[in-house]
Order: sequence, then C-alpha cells, then structure tokens
Amino acid sequence: MTSESFENLRLELRRGCLVLAVLTALRSEQYGYTLRKILAEHGMAIDEGTLYPLLRRLEAQGLLSSEWREEEKRNKRFYRLSPNGKQVLKQLLAEWQSIDASLREVLKEQTNGSSRTLLTSR
Amino acid sequence: MDLLERYLQAVKFWLPKAQKQDIIAELSEDIRSEIEEKESTLGRGLNEAELSDLLKKRGRPVFVANRYLPQEQLIGPVLFPIYRLVLKIVLACYLVPAVLVWIILMVFNSGYRAAHANVLETLGSIWSTLWFSAFVAAAAITLVFAILERVQFRSRLEDWNPRSLPAVRKNANLIPRFGSIVEIAANTFLVVWLTTYNMSSTTIFNFANFQVFLSPAWRYVFWGFLLLALVNIALAAANLARPYWSASRATIRLLSDVGGSVIFASLFKIHILTGFAATDVSPERAAEITSAINFWTGKMFAAAVVFGVIILCIDAFRIFRVKWCASPAPKSTSTVIA
Repeated sequence: MTSESFENLRLELRRGCLVLAVLTALRSEQYGYTLRKILAEHGMAIDEGTLYPLLRRLEAQGLLSSEWREEEKRNKRFYRLSPNGKQVLKQLLAEWQSIDASLREVLKEQTNGSSRTLLTSR
Repeated sequence: MDLLERYLQAVKFWLPKAQKQDIIAELSEDIRSEIEEKESTLGRGLNEAELSDLLKKRGRPVFVANRYLPQEQLIGPVLFPIYRLVLKIVLACYLVPAVLVWIILMVFNSGYRAAHANVLETLGSIWSTLWFSAFVAAAAITLVFAILERVQFRSRLEDWNPRSLPAVRKNANLIPRFGSIVEIAANTFLVVWLTTYNMSSTTIFNFANFQVFLSPAWRYVFWGFLLLALVNIALAAANLARPYWSASRATIRLLSDVGGSVIFASLFKIHILTGFAATDVSPERAAEITSAINFWTGKMFAAAVVFGVIILCIDAFRIFRVKWCASPAPKSTSTVIA
C-alpha cells in the first residue's frame, strides 16, 4: 500500500475519533487554543483549520455551548459540552467501546484461525 | 502585526457575511495565542520572517476560509455517474456525425471542396465550431444536472425495482455459431456460382435471348470477390471451431472487409455494365437503359462508401474491444454456451 493511501485511510479513521476526543475534552470548559494543546498532549493533534469549523458544527448541532469572555485582557470564546452533548457523548462512548470490543473479537478470531491453519498445514 | 492584520483581512474576504466577525475574532485570538506562546519561549517578540512563517503554516487565506464554508457540490456523487454517461453519449452523438458529414462533403462534394481549398484554415474553422458546440452541449447538460441536484432528484432514484434491471449481457466477443454457418453457406454458394457459371467472362448470363456485357475491369472484381469469399469461408470455419473473437481473426475480418468495401464501392463508379442484349429490346433502348443504370449506380457511390466506412468502423471497434475491453474468452467454450 502506498503511503498516500495509508495517510488517507488514517485520516478517515481519525476523523470520527476526533469528534469523540473533542466532546470528551470539552467536559470541562476550554477555549480553542487550550483545547488544541490538550488534544495534542494526548496524541490527538488537530490543526486549527479542522478544529474551529468542527467546533462550530458541533455547536450548531446543539452539542456544545459557547460564550465570549475576557481573560488575560483578551476576548476568548469558551466552549463546553451542552446537556444534550453530554447525553450524545455517553452514547457515542458506548458505541465506540462496542466497536472496539467487536474489532478485538474479530482480531482474536482471525489470530486463532491463522494459528489453526498453520498447525493444520504442518 | 501588520502582516497578521493583512492575513485576517484576506481570510475575512472569503467568509460568509453573517459569520465574518465571529470567525475572524476567534481566528485572531487563536493566532495571537500561538504568537504569545512562541514569544514567551523565545523571550522576545517575533520578527516579520518568523510571523510570516507562522502564517504560512496556517495556510493560504482562501483555503482557511473554505473550511468554514458549507460543503457544496454542483453535482453530487449520486447523480455524477449518470451525468458523466449522458455527457459522453451526447458528445459522441454530436461530434461523430459532424465529423462524418464533413468527411463526406470533402470527399464527394466538389463545390464544398473548392470552397475549402485551404485545409489548415478549414480544419481551424471546423475545430472552433465543433469546440464551441461541444462546449455549449456540455454546459447545457451540466446545467440540467445541477438543477436536478438542487431539486433533490436523487431521492426519486432511491425508489427502484430490482426486477426492472436489464438482462445479463452475453460476452460481446462471442460469435454466434449460427452466424458462422450462414456465412460459410453464403460464401460457398458465391464461390460455386462464380466458378460454375463462367462468371470470369465479360459476358455473363449468356443465354440465347439475353446477354449482359461487362467492362474488362470486371475480371479484377471477379477474382477479388472469389478470393474474399474463400477467405471468409476459412474465417467462418475458424470462428465456428473457436466461437470467440481473437485479435488476429478480428484483424483478418477488418482486412477482408476493407477489400470487400473497396471492390463493392468501385462497382458503382467504374461503369461495370457496358451493355446488354435482349430479343425484345432494341440496341438503342438497351444503350439508354445501360446509360441510366450506370448514371444511377454512379450516384449511389457515396452511399456505398458510407456503408463501407460504417462496416470498417464496426470491425475496428471489434479489434479495440477484443484487445482492451472485454474479459478473455473462457478456456472451455461449453461452459459459456451452457
């Protein structure tokens, strides 16, 4: 597989996870720049060109609420999870765990199957 | 900071009016936070080159603004394959006949040919006309599909019935055995007729009360037809044994049809009939009829050429299909026939 194909698939895989990561990180109030730093520190680096439009989309869907507030003499927009967002995050986390469990099962079965094939062939 | 203001202004230009201020305020705050952090790490203010570098990494203003815009498409992924197919069909249906008409006019119409003596100029004028017409046709189709996209026509496409799907197509390279048998029979009949009834002579249908006289050129036509009939019998026999077109047999068919078309078309042009004699027709009347027949066959020459070109196009397409398009013939023919 070419590195370009891998990169496209990797981005596709991460796209859904990013929403989950953003919603999870916004259980506590953050403004854009600190949110980006937090995500990067936890291995979920996201560029600003993706993050801000995503925040706007999630807010438009009613999952986030935001307010402009002055902090350190500068106006900043703070985001946090809305009550609806908390509910959706709970469902999404359950879904993610279910996908994770299913994938692990498939992997386990495949690994066992491969071992069995190897043993039979010997 | 002049550079930052210029950058923000450039991004702002592309943003939707209702959100301009809000997005720019947030973007400005984000960039200022990054600058602040860098300055605190360096222990000094950023110079213009460093600021320029930071902004460059953020991306061209139009791209940055584009991420905030709703994702729009003129023709969506559902309608796009249909759009592409219609575009191909319409362009082919327009361009191919237009080129054919031009070729026919250039070859057969001396007036048109004289008026367009400068080939380069003519080609340029035809190209610009074709290009403009193709552009208009493509634009019209694009417009129609864009409207269909807007009116959510795709939702109607979602309702469909699997039973209305077309039947499975046969392998296009399959040669029907019945066709090969008919070809062998017809060509064998032709060979027998040409050789048994002394058709190589310039006087054919040589009966007591009726004779047809042909020009000496008929001998070439005779041997040509005889040779082609033998080639066609051999080819049809091979096709009967292996009922799938191969590149070599498709090429032989093309060459055979080239020969056949040339001979057939020449029959209309070379005034092959020199006269006939019948007991109840006077020589003057026979000469008049002969002249009329030659006149009208001469007029039909263009149609014979067009007919030949169509056959050769079909043959050429078959070679293209065999070489590049179709799946290979199965090893066991019985599998497919069953």
